[in-house]
Amino acid sequence: MMRRIIVLVAFMVFVFGFAVWSSTGHAAGTIKVGIIDTYTGPATAYTQDTLDGFKLAVEKINAKGGVLGKKLEYTTRDEKFKPDIGLAMAKELVMKEKVDVLAGTINSGTALAVSEFAKKEKIPFFVFYSKSEKIIGEKGHKYVFNMNENTMMAGRAAGAALGKMPYTKYWIAGDDYEYGHSIANNVWENIQKFNKKAILLGQTWWKVGEADFTPYITQILAAKPEFIIVATGGSGMVNFQKAAKATGLAQKIPFYQHTATELGTLMPQGKDAPEGVWGTSHYFFYYPDTPANKAFVDEFRKAYNRYPKASALTGYMTAQFIAEGYKKAGKVNTEAFIKALEGMSLPSPVGPLAIRACDHQLELPTYWGITKKDPKYDFLISGDTQVVDPKDFMPSCQEVLRPRKQ
Amino acid sequence: MDVTGILNQAFVGLSRTVILFIVSSGLSLILGVLRIPNIAHGSLYMIGAFMAFTISRLFGGGEMGFWMALIGAPLVVALISLFAERSVFQHLYEREHLMLLLLTFAFSLIFGDLVKIIWGGDYKSVPVPQVFQGFVPLIGGLPFPTYNVFLLVCGPVIAILLWLLVNKTKIGKISQAAAVDREMVGAVGINVSWVFAIVFVIGCLLAGLGGALVAPTVSVTLGMDHTLIMEAFLIVIMGGLGNIWGALLGALIFGLTQSLGILVWPQFGIIFPYAAVIIVLLFRPAGLLKATW
Repeated sequence: MMRRIIVLVAFMVFVFGFAVWSSTGHAAGTIKVGIIDTYTGPATAYTQDTLDGFKLAVEKINAKGGVLGKKLEYTTRDEKFKPDIGLAMAKELVMKEKVDVLAGTINSGTALAVSEFAKKEKIPFFVFYSKSEKIIGEKGHKYVFNMNENTMMAGRAAGAALGKMPYTKYWIAGDDYEYGHSIANNVWENIQKFNKKAILLGQTWWKVGEADFTPYITQILAAKPEFIIVATGGSGMVNFQKAAKATGLAQKIPFYQHTATELGTLMPQGKDAPEGVWGTSHYFFYYPDTPANKAFVDEFRKAYNRYPKASALTGYMTAQFIAEGYKKAGKVNTEAFIKALEGMSLPSPVGPLAIRACDHQLELPTYWGITKKDPKYDFLISGDTQVVDPKDFMPSCQEVLRPRKQ
Repeated sequence: MDVTGILNQAFVGLSRTVILFIVSSGLSLILGVLRIPNIAHGSLYMIGAFMAFTISRLFGGGEMGFWMALIGAPLVVALISLFAERSVFQHLYEREHLMLLLLTFAFSLIFGDLVKIIWGGDYKSVPVPQVFQGFVPLIGGLPFPTYNVFLLVCGPVIAILLWLLVNKTKIGKISQAAAVDREMVGAVGINVSWVFAIVFVIGCLLAGLGGALVAPTVSVTLGMDHTLIMEAFLIVIMGGLGNIWGALLGALIFGLTQSLGILVWPQFGIIFPYAAVIIVLLFRPAGLLKATW
């Protein structure tokens, strides 16, 4: 009997000890960020880099004494690419974990759902990597920040670059969901603005996650367009490029994909990726070739033993904006924090980056380039890279804010 | 669209059919004999693709790597499935289908997480071997990937092997009998438990083979199991539960309606296979061929 009681007591001490220990982990002297993102399924290829970039910046900030004498902390939740789960997690993070700031998600659906909640709860929400233009447009509000380029920016940048090229007969093909249609529409609208002679021969849409593009490609080839706007996302990027190479499409008809030139798309294919594919991105680890970028890449490689993808920059900068925002506000107060962030500019691996005051969009650059082999790497990179003039793709404040009022 | 266009599209659709057939015939085999609706079948297909990546890397990624992967990946999947069958499934054959459905669903989640832990979240790519690189011109000069020609050869070979297995071997005949009346087979002194294990492993091996075959044409990624398992189940239901030839017929319908549908209505090409499923089930609710259930 005695033994049993001792065992029971020992067990209870153990359990409660754990509870006490783990709750002291979140002491009052911290600023807490709750991160909701997709850590299962194909999206993981991007979200892991966002998180690692974020982690890297947080470690640096805390090593320098934290923010206002407090430590910057974060906790993560896996929303499994499901908006309802993501929303429930946001609620849990705010109510139970008492986070000061929400961040995350590659999923536009989740981003919009959490954003709505953040607006109601008056919690600042930093969108990591979902690209819907609605986040700061139609559904935008005071508490949401977009730390990534959106489909409007990317699509317009590509449209501007393509519109200056001699192609006139276009075809649109893509993943049949909001991202695909939004990219394609923005590219096409801007092409028409720059090239009055451009015509659209036809469109092809396939379901998200389609693995075999060969039947679609043979059909597009038969229509003989001069240029194809390919609006794929996620694993569709690699799948389409592989099919384009296998069918000879890549050698016959030039095409464009947003993020075609990014590391996440090109590295998995090694030297087998097709050359001559046009793409846009807001970050390459080898471009711009500046000391600031090199320092970031070295730091990231030292910590994780791999090159940072575009999503790593997003995480890295978000953590820094959160820290600097509170520092400038001088206190942990949401309203003062938001005011401090509006118009704030910070040095970054790609040069100074500012959060636009009117719509809370991070003013990222857009790089236009074409896939090319490079003797330095055992995968293809973005060649002939050019910076697209922000005038050509940044929507005006007025344009972004107009749909909000309706 | 002219005749050559239709022929081209049909060829392309057929090569997709091959993968669908290989995977769904395995699913159908297990469903027919063991009565297990194996949701984890898609995960085994994914593991096959990831294993193909690893093995192909191990052998330098070239020609040799591809062939070793094609043999090795299905075998690894077979081993995994043998372990799962002996440790868990064999104790559960008598349970309700709902239980089995939940159990295999749990397995698919576990396998999914294991793949993430082992291989990480990055996309993987298996290079197409040198012999199958490039494309051959079809009628009218439209390009057809050489690798797809290889797939078109694989399909009938596997169909014939399966036919021989089911109809010409002892184990095939026993499993046919066991599918109808398990107790009776046991009563004549046959170790049904091992027959089931072998059928289960063969079915899963087909999933692994499908994964290894598809790997060079796509990016190997987490989540590739979900898309496939849904299509495979639709094919099996359309063809008749448990009927391997039903799986072949279903895969043909699925692959061809998709590729030809794209010709008819490119913007909505995706709906054709699903519309075909609905039409088939409206007129033949039990599937096209005789279900073993």
